[in-house]
Amino acid sequence: MNESPIPSQVKSPKIAIIGNPNVGKSTIFNQLTGLNQKIGNYPGVTVDKRTGSMHYHGASYEIIDLPGTYSLYPNSEDEIIAHRVLNQLSEGEKPDFVLMVIDSCQISRGLFLATQLIDLGLNMALVLNMADIATRKNIAIKSFEIFKSLGVPILSTDARGEKGLDQIRELIHQQNFSNKSTFLAIEEVVPAAFLDEVKAKFGFSNSYQAYQMLRFGDKDKTISIEDKNWIKSKLAERNFDLDKAQLEETKIRYRLITAIVEKAVVKTPDVKKESGIDKILLHPVFGYLIFGAILLLIFQAIFAWASVPMDLIDGFFAEMSGWVSTLLPEGPLASLITEGIIPGIGGVVIFIPQIAMLFGFLAILEDTGYMSRVVFLMDRWMRPFGLHGKSIVPLVSGVACAIPGVMAARNIGNWKEKIITIMVTPLMSCSARLPVYIILIGLVVPDEFIAGIFNLQAVALLGLYLLGVVGVFFTALLMKHVLKSEEKSFLMVELPTYRAPRWLDVLLTMYNKSKTFVMEAGKVILAISIILWVLASYGPPERMDAVRAEGEAKLEAATSEGQIAEIENETASHLLENSFIGIMGQAIEPAIRPLGYDWKIGIALITSFAAREVFVSTIATIYSIGSDTEDELTIREKLNQQVNPNTGEKVYTTATAFSLMVFYAFAMQCMSTLAVVYRETKGWKWPLIQTAYMTALAYFSALLVYQILS
Amino acid sequence: MLITADSIPITRAAIIQDILDSPLKINLMELGFLPGKTITLHHSAPMGGPMAFKLDETILALRKTEASLIEVQLL
Repeated sequence: MNESPIPSQVKSPKIAIIGNPNVGKSTIFNQLTGLNQKIGNYPGVTVDKRTGSMHYHGASYEIIDLPGTYSLYPNSEDEIIAHRVLNQLSEGEKPDFVLMVIDSCQISRGLFLATQLIDLGLNMALVLNMADIATRKNIAIKSFEIFKSLGVPILSTDARGEKGLDQIRELIHQQNFSNKSTFLAIEEVVPAAFLDEVKAKFGFSNSYQAYQMLRFGDKDKTISIEDKNWIKSKLAERNFDLDKAQLEETKIRYRLITAIVEKAVVKTPDVKKESGIDKILLHPVFGYLIFGAILLLIFQAIFAWASVPMDLIDGFFAEMSGWVSTLLPEGPLASLITEGIIPGIGGVVIFIPQIAMLFGFLAILEDTGYMSRVVFLMDRWMRPFGLHGKSIVPLVSGVACAIPGVMAARNIGNWKEKIITIMVTPLMSCSARLPVYIILIGLVVPDEFIAGIFNLQAVALLGLYLLGVVGVFFTALLMKHVLKSEEKSFLMVELPTYRAPRWLDVLLTMYNKSKTFVMEAGKVILAISIILWVLASYGPPERMDAVRAEGEAKLEAATSEGQIAEIENETASHLLENSFIGIMGQAIEPAIRPLGYDWKIGIALITSFAAREVFVSTIATIYSIGSDTEDELTIREKLNQQVNPNTGEKVYTTATAFSLMVFYAFAMQCMSTLAVVYRETKGWKWPLIQTAYMTALAYFSALLVYQILS
Repeated sequence: MLITADSIPITRAAIIQDILDSPLKINLMELGFLPGKTITLHHSAPMGGPMAFKLDETILALRKTEASLIEVQLL
């Protein structure tokens, strides 16, 4: 039973932290490891693997933060990971010791998982966390009674107040983990002979581990088909009902736990009434109004605060390009670095303020306990569209930026609901669409008031945002009927007691999410930026050389500074026209003509695949405004002057501008989102489907708009 | 009279009698919805949305379909 794996002298001992959701497990992990954290991946799933190292009295320990779970019965990807690691099935993550965190107010629920771990034969210790709240709720715990029944070391802590953390460090340092007995003999529900057969087959020594393999081996993607078939055949051979066995186990386990809790926990009835906050926050009317107000506040903050660091980052990378170009001799290498790689890295880094801030706010909402209230309020309205109450977080984040939104979708347990959420989130109007909208609205919508109060331009902008929302629900509904899934959707979520957020946890979330984005999506984004740069800087050599020669000839003849700038801008425009991207833009002209676009707009459509706001700078280059200008008025004037050489009509008519806005509302013009979807779905299938459907939706909607308006 | 938890009136308490057979039975039980426990309906989201029950010291939200798997006796 008790074969504790002896930690080798070279490698530091591995300690896994496990517990129910909302018990302060991650706070303990953060306090123990500080900034010595690593985020990795478990094979085959999107669950983040959080590991860190703890240094104490000259020794070093590896700490693994496992996803929260109520039992060893896995229901979601998160729980499969906990299941696999604790069953010692995950190569490279076999913990030497387990630190099980229990909410002092929820002893019996915590003991359910704790006793399963005991039965697995793991060397462990219990931490009764949130002791302060238990005291406040008049719950007295005799931990010695629990120790007598379970035989594992027990500590009492208050991780938010950092009380008892030194005790945890000391316990880890002394390796004061143990496991003396079996809590529930699984032989009571599964015949011993059957368990022996499984143990022999898989080389297990523990009966409960054998039972877990029988019960859940089928859900674990890392178990081979042969082994799965072996399990199935054995179950069929014995005509063994696993569901019944599991129910039986649950009942016995809870009966035994109840006996302990009756002895160990003394509750004095609370005379005080429950806090009335939920009466307001979950109110059928005020609840929604308050949620709306909080969202508004968050976006206000993101738009106001994120723009400052974003401008700084933008400026910094522009400076850097300039500085590097003075160092390197002119040539293709310098150009690759200053126009391809540096702006490419800048394009990744520029998202960090938004991602960090959004995740900061999400962490605060999560940590205070408000987020599960939002899930409670919104579930009813999401469900008809094949979404889950938890989908509200990604969708709302999508208004700032789809990237954190897609990253936040991993909390949704149900596969189908998660995929639909990821697929529709980029349809929400993100902040990168704003510059495009503003230029085009300014061009064709008069700055007038209707009915004396509504500014027409504002109404048009609001309409575009609503269009995105309509697109989300329409597409979700469609996907709900197309995607097939056997998995049953359910909502069982705890509404935790309200608490002040833990700032260290919030900061670490912001840091870790930004780091994950840069490390994982960054590679894809950088690769695509370099490809786009090559396509925009190179073209058939004879054509490009001719343009350059012509430009130089004109420059020779130039007489004034103004003339030189004009010629340089013109040359840049001609170079772009003759580059591979320019040629592609011209090639797609027949396809986009029915939408009201000419080939110059076609070029902008292709370059803004990098990011939507690139539309503006491309347009600036094409119309020889000079790529460094950010003056919207100049761009607007130029656009207004554009006429079709064949018909003599304006290029940017109302119909074309609206068609373009609708196109940008729906099209997947963002390689960063694509990269994140690739990361979150573990493959190219979904990002490709997403790009295809969004492009089709954008194309046909824009076609419809143009044909109606023109 | 036996009813299912989805029809508990707001703020009323009830004792769990049984959890009906379904693939979600285990999930409910591991959360602590066990025969003999008392649950109280605290909140109910509008238009047939989720319901929030107090069970021991925690508030747990379930959809109506999940609540209908819990057989209770009103107190």
